[in-house]
Amino acid sequence: MVKKKIAKVLAFRYKLLAAILILLAGGLVLLPKYQKHEGIKPEELLSNVISPERYITTDQVAHKLINRDPSFILIDVRDEKSYANYSLPNAINIPLKKLLEEDSRSYLNQNQFDVILFSNDHFYADQAWILCNRLGFKNIRVLKGGINNWFKTIINPLKPSENMPAEAFDLYTTRKAASMYFGVVYPEQANVAGSETKIEAPKRVITVQKKKKKPAEGGC
Amino acid sequence: MGPLIPNGVIPIEWDSIIAILIGIVFGFVLEASGFSSSRKLAGVFYGYDFAVLKVFFTAAVVSLIGLYYMDYLGYLDITQLYVHPLYLWGAIIGGIIMGAGFVAGGFCPGTSLCAVAIGKIDAFVYVGGIMVGVFIFSELFPILEPIYDGYFYGNITLQDSLGINPYWAVFIFSIIAIVAFVISDIVRKKQKKIFY
Repeated sequence: MVKKKIAKVLAFRYKLLAAILILLAGGLVLLPKYQKHEGIKPEELLSNVISPERYITTDQVAHKLINRDPSFILIDVRDEKSYANYSLPNAINIPLKKLLEEDSRSYLNQNQFDVILFSNDHFYADQAWILCNRLGFKNIRVLKGGINNWFKTIINPLKPSENMPAEAFDLYTTRKAASMYFGVVYPEQANVAGSETKIEAPKRVITVQKKKKKPAEGGC
Repeated sequence: MGPLIPNGVIPIEWDSIIAILIGIVFGFVLEASGFSSSRKLAGVFYGYDFAVLKVFFTAAVVSLIGLYYMDYLGYLDITQLYVHPLYLWGAIIGGIIMGAGFVAGGFCPGTSLCAVAIGKIDAFVYVGGIMVGVFIFSELFPILEPIYDGYFYGNITLQDSLGINPYWAVFIFSIIAIVAFVISDIVRKKQKKIFY
């Protein structure tokens, strides 16, 4: 009796399966469509925005440059004209409007180097930072204060007045030494040296491996 | 999240191992469905057995629907999947030759190896024929190269070339599958029963 009942149900099994298939396929058509959200979630972006790691100071960058730290690349997001005029040593120029182009992506979207973005101030660099973060690129930081601050602190450091703490003097000597590294000649030094000795930062060749995102080769 | 290997969830070094595991399962399913019998495979062309059509069409439709649901739910990015490039005339000519071999020998390359594994003599002959074919093709490659590399249309899909909504394409494809199954059943019932 039971067997008969089962047989009765099973007689319809292919029709049943066909109906399920059609239902599922129809479901795909009927499902409400939504805009796919590319990149990281807003909450994650916010936590990146408020993270103190977002910025790097000019002193840290100077330290890295002097020590020839190979683990980072500098990216200048100003336009080509400003870049040709002056830029940090070994910086790569990716103007903000070209940020999303394929050539730029290979520099920005990689796990090999830390990326430090900078502009005159840090506003353009910040905008680039937000865009890159939104796309989920990793290890991207902004030079706090940009090139203006670079000049103020490293190239032309302010001499501390006599009533300032000892740390200020230490910082000043460090910055002064750094500025000499970047080619600034001080009057007292010029008298001694006589000839101009400009130390060029050694040219660095930056090769970025393209992130592996090729589709797997398929076949039958 | 997915696909797992291009997104680095599974390291790329594992792909050969995963390929072997999938190959073993695929071979098992082929053998379990009886596809290592050339008579069963040839049945599609003579109209007495449509298991091949049903199994492969069902597999395609089920995976298609499953993939699109996973894409919808965000587990998989369907744009990252591998799409086989289209070399139009290469595909047409190759398809005709492969089809002729399929009817004549009763195997497709995958099932022939499956049948070799269970010791079918016709399959050994068939695989030998494949090797001869590969040899001839390699020797003639300089002549055939324009067809092999030419008429390239890129990694396109039906949705790209027809410009229709993928979800509708899936739906229409499923309907076609069901209709094909029904028609094949009608054809099979009209045929004389053959024992093999």
